[in-house]
Amino acid sequence: MADGTSVPIDVIAPGQVRARRNTMQRFAQRRSTTGFFLCLPLILLIAAFVIYPAFYAIYLSMLNKKMTAFVGLGNFQFLLKRHTFQLVIFQSCLFAVTSVVLKAVIGFILAHLMHNIPGKNQRIWRGLLLVPWVIPLALSTLTWWWMFDPSYSAFNWVLNQFGIDNVPWLGVGWTARFCTIAVNVWYGTPFFMIMYLAALKSVPEQLYEAAAIDGANTIQKLFFVTLPMMRNIIAITVLFSLIVTFADFDIVRILTAGGPQDMTHVFATYAFQIGIQSGDIPLGAADSLFMFPILAFAAFFVLRGVTRRTKEIAA
Amino acid sequence: MTAPEPQAVGKMTRRRALKVTAASAALPLVHIRSGRAAGKLSIAFWDHWVPAGNAAMQKQVDAWAAKNHVEVQADFITSNGQKNILTIAAEHQARTGHDVQTFPTWEVHNNADLIEPIDDVMKRLMDKYGQVNQVCEYLAKVNGKWLAVPTSSGTQYKGPCGRISVLKEKAGLDVVSMYPARAEHTAASDAWTWDAHYKAAEACAKAGIPFAIGLGQTSDSVDFAGTLFRAHGAELVDKDGNVTVKSDKVRAVLEYAQKLVKVLPDDAVSYDDASNNRALISGKSALIWNPPSAWAVAKRDAPQVAADCWTFPAPTGPEGRFLPYLPYFWGVWSFSQNKTAGKELIEALMQREPVEQRCTEVSGYDVPPFTTMLDFKIWSEVEPPKGTVYNYPIRPFHKASAHIAAMPAPPEIAVQIYNRGTMPTMLAKLKSGQSIDQVISWASDELEGFAR
Amino acid sequence: MSTTVAERRIAVAAQRKHSLHRSRMWALWGSYIALSVFVVMFLVPPFYTLMTSLKSSAEISAQTGSPWLVRHPTLENFWYLITYPNFQRYYLNSIIVTILTVAVSMVISVLAAFSLSRMGFWGSQTLSTGVFLTYLVPPSLLFIPLFQIIGQLGLINNFWCLVLLYPTLAVPFCTWIMIGYFSSIPKELDEAALIDGAGYLQMLWKIFIPVAMPGIIAATIFAFTVSWGAFLYPLAYLYTSNQMVLTVGIISDLIRGDVFQWGKIMAACLLASLPPIVIYAFLMDYYVAGLTAGATKG
Repeated sequence: MADGTSVPIDVIAPGQVRARRNTMQRFAQRRSTTGFFLCLPLILLIAAFVIYPAFYAIYLSMLNKKMTAFVGLGNFQFLLKRHTFQLVIFQSCLFAVTSVVLKAVIGFILAHLMHNIPGKNQRIWRGLLLVPWVIPLALSTLTWWWMFDPSYSAFNWVLNQFGIDNVPWLGVGWTARFCTIAVNVWYGTPFFMIMYLAALKSVPEQLYEAAAIDGANTIQKLFFVTLPMMRNIIAITVLFSLIVTFADFDIVRILTAGGPQDMTHVFATYAFQIGIQSGDIPLGAADSLFMFPILAFAAFFVLRGVTRRTKEIAA
Repeated sequence: MTAPEPQAVGKMTRRRALKVTAASAALPLVHIRSGRAAGKLSIAFWDHWVPAGNAAMQKQVDAWAAKNHVEVQADFITSNGQKNILTIAAEHQARTGHDVQTFPTWEVHNNADLIEPIDDVMKRLMDKYGQVNQVCEYLAKVNGKWLAVPTSSGTQYKGPCGRISVLKEKAGLDVVSMYPARAEHTAASDAWTWDAHYKAAEACAKAGIPFAIGLGQTSDSVDFAGTLFRAHGAELVDKDGNVTVKSDKVRAVLEYAQKLVKVLPDDAVSYDDASNNRALISGKSALIWNPPSAWAVAKRDAPQVAADCWTFPAPTGPEGRFLPYLPYFWGVWSFSQNKTAGKELIEALMQREPVEQRCTEVSGYDVPPFTTMLDFKIWSEVEPPKGTVYNYPIRPFHKASAHIAAMPAPPEIAVQIYNRGTMPTMLAKLKSGQSIDQVISWASDELEGFAR
Repeated sequence: MSTTVAERRIAVAAQRKHSLHRSRMWALWGSYIALSVFVVMFLVPPFYTLMTSLKSSAEISAQTGSPWLVRHPTLENFWYLITYPNFQRYYLNSIIVTILTVAVSMVISVLAAFSLSRMGFWGSQTLSTGVFLTYLVPPSLLFIPLFQIIGQLGLINNFWCLVLLYPTLAVPFCTWIMIGYFSSIPKELDEAALIDGAGYLQMLWKIFIPVAMPGIIAATIFAFTVSWGAFLYPLAYLYTSNQMVLTVGIISDLIRGDVFQWGKIMAACLLASLPPIVIYAFLMDYYVAGLTAGATKG
């Protein structure tokens, strides 16, 4: 803080060119020191509670079940050979990709519909549509679970009114997968909507007017004005959501706990089952570490695109 | 107390050795039984499903604490969402937490490296109250040493609980006269075989009130499948750790199961431990395999259903009659700072009188581990209907034994068979139309993965 | 801000030809109809929660007639919860944890964002891209190794551990929004401030924070949502009822083994959703405006 206040005096300090360059250098140095200190809490937080435990997880994942011997990549090899784990990889990808695509598409549609209606009416609609995102996920998932319950399913009651037989919502593999994805989409779409709405609002109206003068129709406007302007925000939102969805624990854990017959397990719930329930912590750690390369791969491409575009805009 | 961590001695690090020495220095070296416990003690109990259970326990603990001048902090931790197992894992990893923990089923083995042997307490209790069943020994005796004391709190049998009227009308099965509420062996009970179980299930399913038996991966489903396999002598992995799934006995039980699963509800594969209860309480099911908690809820929410419920032993199979048994254990962490007090409290709470008192408070839900304690009055008194849980604990004339799924496989393999729900999943696969060969080959692949 | 857009749009519309006006009207009504469909779909679970929370246990298990309607509405579930000491405790804990988390997160992310958007230092570029990558290591990967770290800190079964852990969930996103927002503030402004003799912290306090208020509110709301609803960390590290927060407290306390007290659970869900709903209702406009300015520049 002393640094900060003393800087201006240095700036005003008079003198020759040489001294001035010195001051400038010192100024720059002080500035970067201050900058570093301002970032320090962030760095410490991330280092202590994300990076260190992440490395610790890597260490754990290389131990044997009783955590007495080092087995290198043995756990990873072992997991990859298990059919159940191959199923988990497939399901995690299916769950995350399908959910994110659906969330992105529905969120995009909703943002557009919302953008269409006059501003003063938007508040109430936005409010209503944000409700799923606002309720704590663990609790709303309980409601869903209750609605899917075999004996008391409220959905089945509706189906029965139309003369349709009971559907075992969480009882059959693909139906259960569908249900977990549906709950995720229900929960996550409002976030996409609000982010896209924010992006839509920042697209200058003149661009549309110019496009209209050029004779562009609605679809052309969408593809040549809206989408390019929203590219970055779409990329970032998709990445963020992909990560969160990939790592999801709450929905699958509460809704199906991985069943039926492991057909809805994702990395996080499977790690919980083998790591905590079956007391094989190293194997659980190894399982959850599989998330990392997949996500890092996605992040690399998304962020590379974003920085490139940001540079284009800046240039 | 003389050898704090016998099986860890070989690999004890300097730091750990120091810690242990420090810990034992703080305690009397010789275990003196009374009057020496002092200081603070924290204990984690299982959060009882019957709310009165916690209060009864708290009262006994408070009384003990006052008498022995120990400050006791009792926490009640739910088993819901595996919260208790998470807590145990947390304390094991962090090497800090309660002094005394409640270990469900497999957790004694999973945490054996950090649990203090408790042979002394166990010996005194067994001298006084007789043997405990094989399952307790299998789960809590590691390398010849008792690591934890089987408790009554939360320990349950999971035999059939059926609707008297439905079973009688739809399946011609008079369960009340088969297992009356008195110490009497009936001829009818000998005919209560797995085939009779299937026939009744089929008849009830035809009548639209099926047996609600889960084929999911939670403990109710696993315990049912475990006892079914055991009654047919079908072992997935033998006691030496060999995969024995490709055997005639496994094939035989699967042949039986193939018929049975057809008459179970369509959503049985997605059942959790509450689904069967709900099916019974909502009046949609003729029979479930469950401790009397389902009956207790029915008593509150659907009294007419509760008054029609009867709990009775499992059917018998080629190898005998086996009842699913799910014990809890009390053990002392080796990092505890007050092991003496912990052991004394455990011993005090496991005396007949407090056990019976707690059992009465929870309407007979708790099953004591010692054979001499299986005669509490409460089981003949609970109603409606009177005597509904008389046959809930194993009585001598039942000729049944307790069993936990996957026993006698080596526990480190068995815990995975249990937690991954291998047996009910095999049944679920049959239900989804797979052939017995497919199921066996799936299971043998799965089981090879457990022997790690 | 939004009204001026709307007014302008209406004005523009008025100038256009009649047919154009009519097609706009159609688009408008179409949007309303489509939105209504979505609103209905989105609100089915909350509606069902509300209905169930008004039922007695007996009515829930009776299963006569439509489960979507309540025949004998009762407030007993709500009353039970409001007077239930454990539930009060969870609520209080949630409030304490959330307020502290939000405060910690905002201080950390505003300082960092200010520094990253204005003061270059060695590695600051990497850090500003990298901070978002924190999310690549999600809680479901970290909760196992964190057992030991939290244990060493002596914070197992202590809700203060959440005040340390929750910021890792909120800070990266908040920092990212704030970097975007701060970058949109013209550089001339801080140069002027520096020449006027203001230090960096003064500059942050007097210029950046007031100007970036919508962004800060948006980030605050995000941090609030995350810490109010987080589930895995409290599930893993808290186990006694005096330490639990709402999400895990409701699930551990109101579900007794295989007995679900659905009426109470649903009532608890509603009560637990109340603070976020109120906050969103009041601060929604700032949220959207803040995201608009912050996120879109990122």
